[in-house]
Amino acid sequence: MRGLLGELATGTNGEAMTITDMEASIEHMSRATVRHVDAILMVTEPYFRSLETVGRMVPLARELGIEHIWAVANKVRSERDEEIIRSYCAEHGVEVGAVVPWDEAIQEADREGRALMDYEPDSPAVAAVQGIADLVEGKAGSSNGRGGQG
Amino acid sequence: MKVAVAGKGGSGKTTISATLARLLARRGHPVMAVDGDPNPNLAVALGMSQDSRNRMVRVPKDVMETKEEDGVRRLVMARPIEEVTAEYAMPGPDGVDLMVMTGVDHAGAG
Repeated sequence: MRGLLGELATGTNGEAMTITDMEASIEHMSRATVRHVDAILMVTEPYFRSLETVGRMVPLARELGIEHIWAVANKVRSERDEEIIRSYCAEHGVEVGAVVPWDEAIQEADREGRALMDYEPDSPAVAAVQGIADLVEGKAGSSNGRGGQG
Repeated sequence: MKVAVAGKGGSGKTTISATLARLLARRGHPVMAVDGDPNPNLAVALGMSQDSRNRMVRVPKDVMETKEEDGVRRLVMARPIEEVTAEYAMPGPDGVDLMVMTGVDHAGAG
């Protein structure tokens, strides 16, 4: 019941947000669920095969008319890691929305089957995801008149 | 605002989805988290209790149906979204609601 109220509560506490954790496969990109999203976050690790997945998804996301497309660099351990992701994304014309550092707290929370937010809310990874929340909030409301640029 | 989180398996997209959902909820947004992964574990990443997880029912495929418009097949809701969320969404930490899909993305295949 609260789920319903949550959806209907738009405008009282802020815009309603839907966050969909998608299937890993890129075939998913062409399916109905993703067609209706305003933004896509492509989470990537700093190694070639992971980046290639982003490289394959981006044209599909554009084709589907998704308004905001961001890469999220994850598990970044060094400047070199960040550089690898940034240069790949620059080459492919994708904006890097956030850089999430490698964070032991994630592995530890996983080990215990707990949420990172409960295990260590002040961890560096959470701080980086705050940046993603800023990004999403910044674009919220601007996506009502959908239709895209092409 | 509807946000999809994608990436190669193991990239950490579930942790990022869950953390983002909870942070947005704490900022005062009503948040619906949707687990679209065939091997769903967003509930754990969100910190949902074992009891809530046990009581969750996956959203069945038939809430969507394939319709043909101008020769284009597309998936549409077979039931009003309000009805679906009322029946299948489970409230979790920070007031984040969660729905777990049953491979809805493949519903059009048959």
